[in-house]
Amino acid sequence: MNFIKRGFLSITRKKGKSLILLAVIFILGNLISGAISIQQATGNVETNIKERLGAATTVELDYEALDALSEADWEGFEIQDIGVDLIKQIGELSYVKYYDYSMSTYLGSEAIDSYQGDMEEDYIHHGPSMDYMLKGINYAPVLDFEEQKGKLVDGRVFTQEEVDNGTSVAIISKKLAEKNNLHVGDTFTLANAVYTYDNETGEEELVTSRDVVLEVIGLFESQSIREDAEVDPSRGMFDFMDIEYQNTVYVPNEIVISETEYHWQEYMKADEELAEMMEGEEQSFEYYTPLFVLNSPEDSDAFEEEVIPLLPELYTVVSATDQYDSIAGPVESMANLSKYVLIAAVIATVLIIGLVVLLFLRDRKRELGIYLSLGESRSRVVGQILIEVMVVALIGITLSLFSGNFLAGQISNTMMEADHNTSYEEVMYYSQIQTDVTTADVLDSYEVKLNSSYILVFYGIGLLTILLSTAIPLIYIVRLNPKKILM
Amino acid sequence: MILEAKDLNYYYQDGEERRYILKDTSVSFEKGKFYTILGQSGSGKTTLLSLLSALDSPHSGTVLFNEEDIKKIGYEKFRRNHVGIIFQSYNLIPTFTAVENVLIPMSITENEIPDDAMTVAYNLLDYIGIVKNKADRPVNKLSGGEQQRVAIARALATNVELILADEPTGNLDEEMEQEIINIFKKLAHEHGKCVIVVTHSNEIALQSDQAFLLKKGVLSSHE
Ligand SMILES: Nc1ncnc2c1ncn2[C@@H]1O[C@H](COP(=O)(O)OP(=O)(O)O)[C@@H](O)[C@H]1O
Ligand SMILES: [Mg+2]
Repeated sequence: MNFIKRGFLSITRKKGKSLILLAVIFILGNLISGAISIQQATGNVETNIKERLGAATTVELDYEALDALSEADWEGFEIQDIGVDLIKQIGELSYVKYYDYSMSTYLGSEAIDSYQGDMEEDYIHHGPSMDYMLKGINYAPVLDFEEQKGKLVDGRVFTQEEVDNGTSVAIISKKLAEKNNLHVGDTFTLANAVYTYDNETGEEELVTSRDVVLEVIGLFESQSIREDAEVDPSRGMFDFMDIEYQNTVYVPNEIVISETEYHWQEYMKADEELAEMMEGEEQSFEYYTPLFVLNSPEDSDAFEEEVIPLLPELYTVVSATDQYDSIAGPVESMANLSKYVLIAAVIATVLIIGLVVLLFLRDRKRELGIYLSLGESRSRVVGQILIEVMVVALIGITLSLFSGNFLAGQISNTMMEADHNTSYEEVMYYSQIQTDVTTADVLDSYEVKLNSSYILVFYGIGLLTILLSTAIPLIYIVRLNPKKILM
Repeated sequence: MILEAKDLNYYYQDGEERRYILKDTSVSFEKGKFYTILGQSGSGKTTLLSLLSALDSPHSGTVLFNEEDIKKIGYEKFRRNHVGIIFQSYNLIPTFTAVENVLIPMSITENEIPDDAMTVAYNLLDYIGIVKNKADRPVNKLSGGEQQRVAIARALATNVELILADEPTGNLDEEMEQEIINIFKKLAHEHGKCVIVVTHSNEIALQSDQAFLLKKGVLSSHE
């Protein structure tokens, strides 16, 4: 009949009290396990979604800050460009996996037809078309391919030599190639056409045009085609983005620079007013939007911290993961709610279990005094009570492990759906690093799971909480005076 | 001398004043004898017993067990290994059966316990007058006399030489009282225990080998 055996016997002999304790622990355990389940699920969503959003970052003008500038601020203010040197300096930071800085321009073509997706049938052509986005490349293996935006399916990527020399080679989409019966090794012609725009008539007039002849060295396919797109309300936007991507022509950056320069100079020739205005000004055709791909999405904060001081005024760092905050509203509010529920539940548990155990111990004052009078050490008496409480707690917590997790899954899904439907507008904007991940995706990836890390965390927090709540009544045992109780 | 009290002082603070319950009390006890300590209610009998059984400590003075200060042995250890205490209100644990109550001190003591503690416990209960089917009952399903027998068996379970009892028959009728007293006599005379019983009953005192009278904090031999 040592203290361990006494503990177990007490649990089974005093069924009523054990059941009351079990019920209290079970109810409070559900709150704790539910809150932990949701915490874990929201945490997983954040990692998953940020993983999907990718580790791309860029440096852009801070449009919000620009908007906030007053007229006085604008006086004499000049926006500086991000130079190649600065881009290279940032690119050398340890967080950066690889980077590119490129220009792009739009060209038309008489010789080939652009890809128009499903809209092909009713597509009506207005005015001069500029369907092809010429995207300049400095990073020869092509960053978009490394980042799985696209995938090379035929031919090859650029060589460093082609990039350095601005060789007239291109990688185009397979869809564009199929439409125009182009293959690797073929050449095709785009037109760099310069128009003037008449403010009065609204007429556009072709001034001049030059051919850009490119050799196809590779074909790519888009990797981000959405299978489930029909039900998506923002489908139109994705179509637009897809068509734009299918008509993208990757070329060495030097080609984009020279075509932009040509276009600009011809345009100035045609527009005397503008030419006069620009007279004497240093002209740069190199305006870059750099793209830095970090080693991991988790590096974005540290990266941002290091880069901000290097940037000229009014520039900011934009990360793909920034988008998370705008699409994860329902999950974030659920994460917050569950955090408060968890804290409240732990505090309530400590108080309630502490009180229940204390009441039960007062009932057993005489029994505890007897153990002491028989020479049992106080630590073993404490041990017996701990065994009694913890065994019941283990059962209660194990039961609530499953039920709390299940309930959390049900309740949080319902709540987030309601939240999503009522209060969050999807903010869509188009930028270089924009991905097509939406709030719906966030909700899809939200899943309350019964995995080992949840089980571990819950047992840890649950049992520690109960232990803490038993600590208070145990002080009562330590202070018991057997003579007063028994004699 | 198995147990010896030397110059025990015990008092309650009453404002500025000390109200002495025991004043320079000295007494000694031998093995194989049945002692009684007689005294009126409130005379300090329980106080003395609590000091002899290490449930409380005196303000001054010492209690020696086999010439050794029980403070040096350690109160907890002394209770665990050297003394069996019997209370007026039995103080059994109602969650457990009679035999389980007897088994509890066996798991606490450091004294040698024969391998089959269960058999020892049943035999002990049987010897004291609790048959097997009663031994397996929860103690609150036993009569007062039976409960006190279980308490005596519990005191004997650790095979100690010293049995201290505080008005053990106070809640029992006369017939039952005599049976319990007979057990104490047997324990002293046949088993060589030192049995000290606190009582306010003259009849019991008359049956003891030696009786002391506690009066106004002073202990004297009672004829
Ligand atoms: N906590 C206390 N405070 C003050 N006086 C006490 C306290 N406990 C007991 N006493 C007094 O001590 C005296 C001795 O008590 P006790 O040893 O229980 O006597 P007995 O067992 O002989 O009836 C009594 O007069 C009682 O009133
Ligand atoms: Mg008394």
